[in-house]
Amino acid sequence: MAREKIGALLLLTFSIAYGVLALRIPLSFLAQQEFFTARTMPYSLAVLGIILSLLILILPTADPKGKHTLKQETRGMEWNKAILLVVAMVFYGLTMKWLGFILASILFLMAGFYILGERRLKKMALIAIPLVILLWFVMSTLLGVYIAPGEVFYRLGVL
Amino acid sequence: MWDGMLSGMLSGISTTLIPMNIAMVLFGCFMGSLIGMLPGLGPITAVALMIPVTYGLDPATGMVLLAGVYYGAIFGGSTSSILINAPGEAATVATALDGYPLARQGQPGKALAVAAYASFTGGSISVVLLMILAPMLASVATSFQSADYFALMILGLTAVSAFAGRGGVLKALLMVVLGLMLATVGTDQTSGVQRFTFGSLELLDGIEFLMLAMATFALTEALSIVLKRDASSDSLDPKMIGFKSLKVSKKEFKLIGPSAVRSSLLGFIIGVLPGAGATLGSFMSYGMERNLASPAEQKKFGKGSLRGLAAPEAGNNAASSGSFVPLLCLGIPGSGTTAVMLGALIAYGIEPGPRMFIDSPQVFWGVIMSMYLGNVFLLILNLPLIPYFARLLAIPRNFMVPMILFFSLMGVYLVTFNDFDILMMVIFCVAAMALRLMNYPMAPLLLGFILGGLMEDNLRRALLIYNESISFMWERPLTLGINLATLFILFFPMVRSLLSRTGKAEGLDEIEG
Repeated sequence: MAREKIGALLLLTFSIAYGVLALRIPLSFLAQQEFFTARTMPYSLAVLGIILSLLILILPTADPKGKHTLKQETRGMEWNKAILLVVAMVFYGLTMKWLGFILASILFLMAGFYILGERRLKKMALIAIPLVILLWFVMSTLLGVYIAPGEVFYRLGVL
Repeated sequence: MWDGMLSGMLSGISTTLIPMNIAMVLFGCFMGSLIGMLPGLGPITAVALMIPVTYGLDPATGMVLLAGVYYGAIFGGSTSSILINAPGEAATVATALDGYPLARQGQPGKALAVAAYASFTGGSISVVLLMILAPMLASVATSFQSADYFALMILGLTAVSAFAGRGGVLKALLMVVLGLMLATVGTDQTSGVQRFTFGSLELLDGIEFLMLAMATFALTEALSIVLKRDASSDSLDPKMIGFKSLKVSKKEFKLIGPSAVRSSLLGFIIGVLPGAGATLGSFMSYGMERNLASPAEQKKFGKGSLRGLAAPEAGNNAASSGSFVPLLCLGIPGSGTTAVMLGALIAYGIEPGPRMFIDSPQVFWGVIMSMYLGNVFLLILNLPLIPYFARLLAIPRNFMVPMILFFSLMGVYLVTFNDFDILMMVIFCVAAMALRLMNYPMAPLLLGFILGGLMEDNLRRALLIYNESISFMWERPLTLGINLATLFILFFPMVRSLLSRTGKAEGLDEIEG
């Protein structure tokens, strides 16, 4: 199946789900009497989304690049590294509050370097640590932005 | 009007010439060049990455900085196109056609200098045209009503899709609709009703535009470098580093001068059209110059022709300035980058559109004048530094990609201080990556998202004024004219395609007959 057809199918599903959710937007009794409500725009967009994705699905694919299948297009891609980077980003988001900006950022950067094949620990640390501390210094000292320390420091009684 | 224009220009000059703003233009050009030079990162990413820095500044200074970043990123993109044949974005692809062969022939300095002079010409001519055209259009646009705005937004979004290329119109339109859908998330401004928030407090204010811009551009571009094993960041030829000569002879100046002027004019006109943008500007300028060249000169195109390098560079820069006309005068972004800038303006609390010309002249004129200043800085200060900047291209992707990811995530976190936003960014990044792999463009999505709220407001207001009738779409001649233009843009490619198919079919019949 051409890759843009798969995209159209996914977006068709999304548009239908969006339309169904639009039905659940709460409206007061008075609002229900109005011509233009909070549901009007979402309804119209859901219909437009459904029509456009159906058109892409039904009409022949004109874009030569769009005719490739996903398998053809993604052959030889470095999925492992990309997925690991996404996982690292999720962990970064989850640990930010607990570890604080400095520690979480240093760990994220070093994990990123490691995922992409860097193995020299000293070099990784020499890039990540000064970069994060410099950014923290610029933000908190020069620009006066308060960056909260991690929860873990309070729990351990360090702060 | 001319008096107003003159006083506005003076106000713009005085805004730009504040030491702080001069420093910001310089900083913007510098940072834009550095970011734009990184393979895979274009002006949209550069501007998005720098927006968090501007939040602590006043709006005029913030916009001045972003204008500098925009110009710097275009210049940086040309540098990576010329030196390592890795255009940061589509608009600099045409630059690589002749720039890279010229650099391979041992003249990287000359190629960069020609590109810089051509960019300067494009930027200078287009800024003059912008100064004349923008106030004229803005003063006309002050009489616009909600119906006209709604029609204009439809025109802008349609135009972006119409220029999406063969087979791309429907996909671009679908992405616009997806962007509009995302814009409906949060509390409805008029009724106060929550839409698609799933009970989450974080979604009450809607999706943060900066987060969406970073997720769909910066993060996905960085991940694309990893996925596609783009080794271009490792491939800078050592011969290309450390060049000193940036000299261009008088004869060469005479050769590229007329090309740069012609391409600047064409580029500006194309840039003004909503949706056409710098890519079309650079390719059309390249095509025009090749057609105008003598047969002997034509053979050099694609093999290191100076004219072939100057034309797309001038066209690209002029079109980039031209795309500011619809942004500053009508509040309709003409390209992905100006859409991000529109988002920044809204975040500063400035209502983009013709009122900006009256209510915030310092921003309006400050941006225009800083664009010129940016051009001067790029030529005088950045060009000599390019051999040193180019060393950035030698940074291995092992280090570069995590740093891009880090700065993108940081850019959003340090504005909102909400770790939920980081997780949302990752979700949007994965979705955007999947859509990119399925060949769906991201710029229309961002455009739809940014214009979504304004569009709904104007539609609601227009319906209210016209007693809930959609006759507002044709009652006013201006609205009707804009809508007819939209229909023309939407259906012209289809009619042309049908006609060409019929023509081909007839041709085949004749051959077979």
